[in-house]
Amino acid sequence: MQAADIATLLVNSLTWAMATFLVAAGLTLVFGTLHILNFSHGGFFMIGAYAAFSLAQWVGTSNSIALYLFGSLAAGVLVAGLGLVVDRLVLRRLAGVEDAYILIATYALLLVCEGSTKLVWGLKYHSVMPPAMLDGAWVMGSAVVPRLSLFIIACGLTVFIALEVFLNRTKSGRLVKAIAADPWMAGLLGINVRRVYTATVALGFALAGLAGGLLVSNQALSPSLASAFVIYAFGVIIVGGMGSISGAFFGSILLGLIDAIGQWVLPGLPGLPFFIAMTLILLLRPQGLMGRKH
Amino acid sequence: MDNRSSFLGGPARRDWIVLAVVMALGLLVPSVLNRGLIFIAGLVWINAVFGLSFNLLFGLSGVLSFGQAMFFAAGAYAAAVLTQSLGWPFLPAWIMAAVAGGLLAALVGAVALRRSEGVYFAILTLAFAELMHLLITNTGMLGRNDGLSGLARPVLSLGAARLDLGQGDNFYYFIVVACGAMIALIRFVIGTAFGRALQAVKQDPERAEFLGIPVRLHRLVIFTLAGMMTAAAGALVAPWAQIVTPELAHWSNSTNPILYTLLGGSAYFWGPALGAVLLSAVFYVTRTLVGVSDLVTGLLLLAVVLALPGGVLGLLARWTGGTRGKGKA
Repeated sequence: MQAADIATLLVNSLTWAMATFLVAAGLTLVFGTLHILNFSHGGFFMIGAYAAFSLAQWVGTSNSIALYLFGSLAAGVLVAGLGLVVDRLVLRRLAGVEDAYILIATYALLLVCEGSTKLVWGLKYHSVMPPAMLDGAWVMGSAVVPRLSLFIIACGLTVFIALEVFLNRTKSGRLVKAIAADPWMAGLLGINVRRVYTATVALGFALAGLAGGLLVSNQALSPSLASAFVIYAFGVIIVGGMGSISGAFFGSILLGLIDAIGQWVLPGLPGLPFFIAMTLILLLRPQGLMGRKH
Repeated sequence: MDNRSSFLGGPARRDWIVLAVVMALGLLVPSVLNRGLIFIAGLVWINAVFGLSFNLLFGLSGVLSFGQAMFFAAGAYAAAVLTQSLGWPFLPAWIMAAVAGGLLAALVGAVALRRSEGVYFAILTLAFAELMHLLITNTGMLGRNDGLSGLARPVLSLGAARLDLGQGDNFYYFIVVACGAMIALIRFVIGTAFGRALQAVKQDPERAEFLGIPVRLHRLVIFTLAGMMTAAAGALVAPWAQIVTPELAHWSNSTNPILYTLLGGSAYFWGPALGAVLLSAVFYVTRTLVGVSDLVTGLLLLAVVLALPGGVLGLLARWTGGTRGKGKA
């Protein structure tokens, strides 16, 4: 294996890791705060991607990264709006419901997302070209690094840093953390817990939509996008420790590397190292690498 | 008459009568319906057993598995490989498929039940099932993504008697009898002392343990049994559809028995069977409308979880004010 191969392997696994982290961030945020493992998160990610696709079609092909980012933000806002509806109609009613039923209810939501996506956008595969500046690749020596990969890695890092700063350095972020730790006590201290829950759901869904927009050029769009990504996102938040943003971040990097190395050692079995690693970590350390024992 | 017909409350005799009536009706299907619908009716029987086996875990024992498709697929592939590649007669292959499913479930259960509970167990079983799905799609002998096709309907030979199940609707009748027998076995298990102990485990594991019920062992045994029954149901799909594909192991197939059970009513013995009938009807009616079946299924499931925890049978029980809903499956 040459240096160029290692560089390619690293870039590919980091791209996968950051793409997965972008999806997993909102999932782990909502789980950490509301203790709802949201199966439908992948569905709303997919709706964000399709929304960005429609927007791109409506605007026409563009060459500007700014417009691509704007489309992603718009998808994020749209999905956050959907999140508010879902919160009002479904999530609020799940308070006090058994965990198993919560998982089944959010799976039902995933089905609703998939059905709506098929109805609105059909079964056909679609693809969106990245803006010209992100198309193509940089050639460094014998290593070829697609620009889109670097863009996705940068997006993942930005979202990670922004979330960490928000949760640890701002008043509202610390409010979210306080409620995640003890909603009852937070309520006693005069915090409007319900409002923070709603805001957290909106933020989590916004992250799903944003991820959809940012990753719209990274793969073909099809109604199976949701189930593929939600399993990967489950994997990384379990490995990192459910509810922890940094856990999801490092979990995705770790699983990305394991999968890339595994495929290099055992070619022809894509995805297998991912599931083996996920299963082993669930068995040996169910609270995840960075999670607390409960 | 009791109106809280949980597994414990439901009188066994009524369930036996329902089973007899439903089987009799099932045997009449070929004389009224066309070929396409007979095929669907066969699948409904198989799915009913799939759902009832799942409910041995969920409704009876309080264990949520999101990976039952791995046992269904194990049974289907075992039956396909044994009959097609190795030339086994169907009956031994069917039994072997059930044994394979049971062994796989014992293995998965021994590891997963020891280390996890609740949502973690659900996700862990999902991961195991995906592992199995990946292995199937990457194994040449199992036809990778294409699966195994051209599977023959078997000829049963018992002593001197020979019965060609490829003829006419014979295999459908075989499915009715086989599934009826499996449903009877599931009902029998629920009625035993072991079944009642599982009910206690579901209600309060800690107290059950304190009363001397080995909780973990009981869960493992029922998980193994459910895996075995699921594989036996899956093994019937192979000759019925005459093709097995990796889709059988995909996690979306794991969610089918969950849908049947919740829709029909997880607290009722017949819930999953009724759910299988209803969902198949939904799929049939919406088959030409892309996306509608997912949408309708999702909304129905949401309605059940949020507003109707007893499922359709729970609703019927409420309407009839005491007597439980009668005809089903």
